[in-house]
Amino acid sequence: MNLFGGTFRTLEQSLDYASLKNQVISNNISNVDTPNYKAKDIVFKDYLAKAASNLEAKRTHPKHIPFNSPRDNNYQLITKENTVFNHNGNNVDIDKEMANLAKNQIYYNALIDRMNGKFHSLQTVIRGGN
Amino acid sequence: MSIFHAMNISGSGLTTQRLRMDVVASNIANAQSTRATVNENGEFEPYRRKMVVMEPQEKTFSSFLQKAQNRKALSGVTVSEIVEDDEPFKIVYNPNHPDADEQGYVQLPNVDPLQEMVDLMSATRSYEANITAFNASKGMLMKALEIGK
Repeated sequence: MNLFGGTFRTLEQSLDYASLKNQVISNNISNVDTPNYKAKDIVFKDYLAKAASNLEAKRTHPKHIPFNSPRDNNYQLITKENTVFNHNGNNVDIDKEMANLAKNQIYYNALIDRMNGKFHSLQTVIRGGN
Repeated sequence: MSIFHAMNISGSGLTTQRLRMDVVASNIANAQSTRATVNENGEFEPYRRKMVVMEPQEKTFSSFLQKAQNRKALSGVTVSEIVEDDEPFKIVYNPNHPDADEQGYVQLPNVDPLQEMVDLMSATRSYEANITAFNASKGMLMKALEIGK
């Protein structure tokens, strides 16, 4: 039984994801008038890639370094290359970016809220319900 | 990549859009300037309309470092150069003007006020979008400080 078990790690990784997503959206918004700029996005890797990254190589010696890294993030940065939204080759849809920005902010706040809730539960247990 | 990275990106957007507004202001202010530069024959030439060329900020040390580590860099925006519009000057008949030629025609700058106003509005809206993104990042950081309270 781990005190800071699964939930904290999940929340932590989700916060990581949300803050990187915020950076990507900020970058897209600041490049909204840049000719030939292509919008970027954070997407979750597909399940095959995720499963492949969890494959473990056979180790013939106990001191060999394992291939898989358990703290590998399961999301990645992509560039949307194949669309044109504006006349100058730029494909930043400002309305979409602003909506995603608001959504991501609420998501982040919800995660922080849950994390605080978890800490408060722990605190209640530590104080013995007082 | 620090926690303020998103704010720096929005900041670069604010700087760029403000420069765009400055250039538009310069174009409008000089819409009637007939003596901006002197050409090789020693004659005055009117003001030429200026334009801002933007590009993603990819020539910094940190973005090269990120690329070397096979990571995609998020680096904001920057102005690569300010170029001049090559469109011909406007010709107006005004024989009393000191810069009129022998036929009485004056060359006026190739500034179109309508185009400048549209550009100004575009810059203003983009500036506001960057402010919103900046405030979102700020709100998230402030919220993160509440963890464990």
